[in-house]
Amino acid sequence: MKHEIREETAGIVVAFEGDVDLQSSPDARKVLLDCVGMGKSVVVDLSKVGYIDSSGVASLVESFQSARKGGRNLVLASVSEGALRVLKLARLDKVFTICDSVEDGLSALG
Amino acid sequence: MSDLEQPGAIKRFVERIGRSTLSGVEEIGHGGVLIGESFYWLIYGPRIKQPVRIGSIFQQMMEIGIHAIPIIGLLVAAIGAMLAIQGIHTLRIFGAESRVTIGIAFSVVREFAPLIIGILIAGRSGSALAARIGTMKINQEIDALKVMGVNPVRFLVVPSLIAMVIMVPALTVFGDIVGLVAAGLYVNADLGISMAAFFHDIVDILTVDDILHGLGKSVLFAILIAVIGVVNGAGVEGGADGVGKATTRSVVQAISAIVITDMVFAFVATR
Amino acid sequence: MTETPASVIEVENLVTHYGDREILKGVTLDVRDGEIMVIMGGSGSGKSTLLRHLMALESKTSGTMRILGQDIDHLSQREFFDLRKRMGVAFQGGALFSSMSIGENVMLPLSEHTDLDRTTMEIMTRMKLEVVELGGFEDLMPSELSGGMIKRAAFARAIIMDPKILFCDEPSAGLDPVVASALDDLILLLRDAMQMSIVVVTHELESAFKIADRITILDRGHILMVGTVDEVRTSSNERVYNLLNRVPEDDSIDMDEYLQRLTGVQVNEEAAL
Repeated sequence: MKHEIREETAGIVVAFEGDVDLQSSPDARKVLLDCVGMGKSVVVDLSKVGYIDSSGVASLVESFQSARKGGRNLVLASVSEGALRVLKLARLDKVFTICDSVEDGLSALG
Repeated sequence: MSDLEQPGAIKRFVERIGRSTLSGVEEIGHGGVLIGESFYWLIYGPRIKQPVRIGSIFQQMMEIGIHAIPIIGLLVAAIGAMLAIQGIHTLRIFGAESRVTIGIAFSVVREFAPLIIGILIAGRSGSALAARIGTMKINQEIDALKVMGVNPVRFLVVPSLIAMVIMVPALTVFGDIVGLVAAGLYVNADLGISMAAFFHDIVDILTVDDILHGLGKSVLFAILIAVIGVVNGAGVEGGADGVGKATTRSVVQAISAIVITDMVFAFVATR
Repeated sequence: MTETPASVIEVENLVTHYGDREILKGVTLDVRDGEIMVIMGGSGSGKSTLLRHLMALESKTSGTMRILGQDIDHLSQREFFDLRKRMGVAFQGGALFSSMSIGENVMLPLSEHTDLDRTTMEIMTRMKLEVVELGGFEDLMPSELSGGMIKRAAFARAIIMDPKILFCDEPSAGLDPVVASALDDLILLLRDAMQMSIVVVTHELESAFKIADRITILDRGHILMVGTVDEVRTSSNERVYNLLNRVPEDDSIDMDEYLQRLTGVQVNEEAAL
């Protein structure tokens, strides 16, 4: 799994690439929490993520709550169908703001 | 099968002896394999990411050791006082009451503390181990561990075995002290020998060998209790009454094994 | 993630014994990726034995078994453990560890097999408990739960590692129809949402017809038929029909064999009248 972070005016965009599974999710978690810790809202770009397992989703949940605690937002962009199913299983599609693209995500941060 | 082979009573009897001997040998074999496997997991477990959990060992140590302290204290104190009473009574015949300390020192440290504690732990924790593993087996919890990729020997057996091997000798040291103090108190009350003088004598009489003799036995007892408990628990068939039978068997077998081992050990160690 | 083959389980000519008795007499079966395979059969048909072999809990007499493309006879201990992590099992009675809370039970595979952060493990555990509708129950002990809830918790534990294959032993046994039906829905949900291949052993026809993609019918150690729900329903095979309609077994007897079984005395063929 690779990742790329870039800073926009509206917030930070972090793009993951590859699978987020038991092996890679600890790294993903660290990256996400670091991004949240930078004091801006975050857009997580999942367009290049093939597979995301529950540990990856758990890291997203933890980071989201951490962002909210700091009065900021975290939105998901370009969520694949498979990842969406995993989110829906635990009714997390009703929790996260899920946008079609990074641009939508950035504007959603408002 | 032809008519010639109608099994007679004698044949059936011999057959039964043969079969129970075989199953006995088989159980001893299981026990041996279990000890081997336990060592394997203790040493190689961490290498294949299946380490023995320290937490489970501590939990078992609490259960086997710490919680047993009150009852062991009581029993060993009673044994210490009993030895003093009998010793003084016997030696009075020769007018040699004051030499009672020798008998007390050797009996408590070499024999009674390890033996009583072994028997007590067999009844208290060996049976609990058999019951726990037996119940887990009939509830498919052992299967559940296996399908989760968790080796039951590593997860269940090794922590109990290690906890036993640490706690039974530790309790024996505790038992030595409590037994001697109780005996000393009685001697003090009956013969008027001061506690300081009594313990001065004890220290003079006892050698490191005597203490190691007791502790060495207690380590053997610990292994016997754990292995017999696990083998009986793992052999449970059927339902709840199977667990009951296994529990009883494990206590009877463990106590028998302890007493026999004690005798053999004493014989070998005094050669 | 490793590539998943078209068939997640391939069994060929599986023969097994219990003591001297032959239980499975040459079973060939495959479970495809993402399907729910229901194994049915009367008591003594060998369906529970087959399940135990699929879970690699028993050793077989002969035959081959490939799970997720790997021949289980040719695996090192390490590879075998790795394979096990990709299989989840919901046992008939739940098989929860009675000394641990529900949360600890569900989390156990994670704490044993992964180096995940404690927070991640806890969130995953709560997520899976939400999936089985036991949200907020993690601190209770198994003894404080009803039978249906225990089974749900067992499902949560079975899927905690996002397994590729899920085995369910009699999921609806001993449950009232409403609770049983909810468990069927859960099985369907897991197949659809997590694309698991699910093997279910059951004797409940209604449940089998509701969830199965394909049904395997076992009879006295042989496979009687494998087919879709419709194929099984419309089968012209007499024994399948009897099983589905609970027609009592054929009561004709082999006199020689039956008398020998009752008396233990064998009569030579020449001597017999």
